[in-house]
Amino acid sequence: MVNSILEVKNLTKTFGKVCAVDNVSFSIKEGEILGLLGPNGAGKTTTIQMLLGALTPSSGEMNFFGKEFNNNREEILNKINFCSSYISLPWKLTVNENLDVMARLYGVKNRKKRINKLTEVFDIKDFRNKAVSTLSAGQTMRVTLAKAFINFPKLILLDEPTSSLDPEIAEKVRTFLKSEQDNFKVSMLLTSHNMAEVESMCDRVIFLNKGKIIAEDTPVNLAKNIEISRVDLIVDKNIDKVLEICTENEWEVGIDKPHIKVELKEKDIPKLLTVLNEEKVVYSEISIEKPDLEDYFLEMAKRRDKK
Amino acid sequence: MNFNIVWAVVVRHLYNFKHSLDRITDAFYWPAMDIFIWGFTAQYITKQANQLPQIIILLLSGVILWLVVWRAQYEITVNLLEEMWSRNLVNIFSSPLRVREWVLAVFILGLIKMFFSVGFSIFLAIILYKTNIFSLGLYLIPFIVSLTLTGWAVGLFVSGLIIRYGMRIQTFAWGGIALLSPFSGVYYPISTLPIWAQKVAMFVPTSYIFEGMRSVIFKGSMLYSDLFKSFAINAVFMIVGLLFFNLMFKKSKLRGLADLE
Repeated sequence: MVNSILEVKNLTKTFGKVCAVDNVSFSIKEGEILGLLGPNGAGKTTTIQMLLGALTPSSGEMNFFGKEFNNNREEILNKINFCSSYISLPWKLTVNENLDVMARLYGVKNRKKRINKLTEVFDIKDFRNKAVSTLSAGQTMRVTLAKAFINFPKLILLDEPTSSLDPEIAEKVRTFLKSEQDNFKVSMLLTSHNMAEVESMCDRVIFLNKGKIIAEDTPVNLAKNIEISRVDLIVDKNIDKVLEICTENEWEVGIDKPHIKVELKEKDIPKLLTVLNEEKVVYSEISIEKPDLEDYFLEMAKRRDKK
Repeated sequence: MNFNIVWAVVVRHLYNFKHSLDRITDAFYWPAMDIFIWGFTAQYITKQANQLPQIIILLLSGVILWLVVWRAQYEITVNLLEEMWSRNLVNIFSSPLRVREWVLAVFILGLIKMFFSVGFSIFLAIILYKTNIFSLGLYLIPFIVSLTLTGWAVGLFVSGLIIRYGMRIQTFAWGGIALLSPFSGVYYPISTLPIWAQKVAMFVPTSYIFEGMRSVIFKGSMLYSDLFKSFAINAVFMIVGLLFFNLMFKKSKLRGLADLE
């Protein structure tokens, strides 16, 4: 049986009349990576701050490792950690000094060995004796990630962990996170605006909007909710004819010559191809994009704007 | 020279002045404190002109002993601000660190820095002015303990305000303790103050210590009851300081620690 590492029940946070997190309930199993998605202001960071004990919830329960948070704060915080692009580290201290302080706060045994290992993993060895203030945004984020793993956490909360990293380092970080999940069954709660990252990393995704959970499923299943696919054609002649066909069938079309992008339901794709054939429209290339998590995200954002 | 451009820079800083408590205290609070303290000190010195050697040791002992109070409170408030300035507050308070452990840590830090800072000042006073604060003898021990307690209590109270209201009131971190200074009689006897201020001074623990300091310098001893009063008021200050900081910390977490950074 897989243990539940985190159980959140009816978590609510109000600031005056504004309800930032509204009766949210979810759980994370051992070794699971849960994505927390939503547009800006959806309540993702507020949820993470509450889970860290840095923000007192208005109501609700948080149980970590089967224990209630408020009565077991120190024991729980010893087993979790976080990384956020919104939080920094003392900038006058060097990378090494920062990690040393954090290792002491978490009571890490054999600090030197742990710091050496993390500076290797996150590729920060070369600047470990430099002050944090002298580092680039990407370098600082890597140090923050190293800090997040300093105490061998069982649960880690990652608030946009790769937002300021270059693609190569971001990929390295994702590989490390996956290896921690596979090798040590580390559970993770991940927020990110990089949908491809969420799809590749997360076992399950929660979609928050205006503080409420509006969807919860695997990334693939969430994407399935979106029926619209995109067909990208390279057409040399008869572009007007394609436009006419799309207008008749009420399919959305975008032209960026010689590319024509048609948005339509997946079941209508054969019909499109048949009609193009009947009308003798010649296309030199065709590609079909199925909906992904990003489409789901955009669709949810559209619906929110319409409301 | 384009006067409009020059004026734009002036306006920029005037706007800042309006929004910055730091700049406002620089302009009004500190000059007022200086006028109060040095005015009363000047009045006292004028009356004591025939006792000049004692005046020098009085002033230097006052400076050094006030440094104890200031250093004790400063280490608490400024270390809290350091965490806010570097957006590190959430990092440390989402670790297993308890509030009481943080408080103890800044107390210890204050003691370490006080040891060096006060030690250096004593050394300078000896070298430059041949004035030795150790002439206060064993009284120096309860003096320093009591003054440290006052500094800690005020530091906790001011830190409580800072953690509740954030960096916009950071000027209290170095200015808060100065409010006690005129009522402490650091450089002049409490009797120099107006009657209403003397009444306030009765509730200020440091006033008994600085009165005691003068008594030891002039008479070689002081009333033990004054030491007791100082410690008793300090006990109340400390309890209030600790409870207030704890309460403000909890209130701050209702808005979120990240909101302070």
